[in-house]
Amino acid sequence: MSDKTKPEQAIPGPGEPAEQVPDWLGNRLRRMFTDVMDEPVPDEFKALLKQLEDKERGS
Amino acid sequence: MVANDPFLDQVTALLPALRAFGRSLCGDPARADDLVQDTVLKAWTNRIQFQSGSNLKAWLFTILRNCYYSELRHRKFEVEDPEGICAAQLSVAPVHDARLHLRDLNRALQELPHDQREALVLVCATGLSYEEAADVCQVAVGTIKSRIARARDRLVELLGEDAAMVTDPASSESSVGSVSLASARARVS
Repeated sequence: MSDKTKPEQAIPGPGEPAEQVPDWLGNRLRRMFTDVMDEPVPDEFKALLKQLEDKERGS
Repeated sequence: MVANDPFLDQVTALLPALRAFGRSLCGDPARADDLVQDTVLKAWTNRIQFQSGSNLKAWLFTILRNCYYSELRHRKFEVEDPEGICAAQLSVAPVHDARLHLRDLNRALQELPHDQREALVLVCATGLSYEEAADVCQVAVGTIKSRIARARDRLVELLGEDAAMVTDPASSESSVGSVSLASARARVS
């Protein structure tokens, strides 16, 4: 049985995420997420992207 | 960090979101960055498959998620637990006789089954719509809503009675500090 057809996965009702999750929890989830997003991207990613770009140029 | 390739430019712009999503999935910054690197490489290799104009963020999240579950499958103790049932049971064991005094949301998130955690994070933290999250997880929209509801209930249980009362200084303008547990529970039920 695919995941899409599991009977236990009934739709709990209409509503936007803000209605499904209390404010305090939604705020903290977003804060946790944006805290990581605000971190500087490590140099290893810059090196990887440069490597890919150089590879593209060379091909 | 700007690349000249338009595709890489867009991927670069999404790196922070990918890192945050990866960290929310596995709870480990170093492991999350490894997942993001794998994701970037796979996205680059398969960039022809990406349809210009479609949602690159959702596409990358899908790849990252697949990388994560692929890695989990290589961990023997996770192999036979695709629904996170065993993991959930294991995580409950330490708190069977007392409420877990978790104030750290990240730690509490890691207590959730994988499918619930990703649904909650995708919709409530990354800002994807229910439909986009359903595409990423390859399930129906109703499944995403159901998983979010279960995740929410479990987090409320894990975080304890004072969770809704703790003031978040970064969002003092919001109702975070003023929501009582009773009202929070009323809203989530």
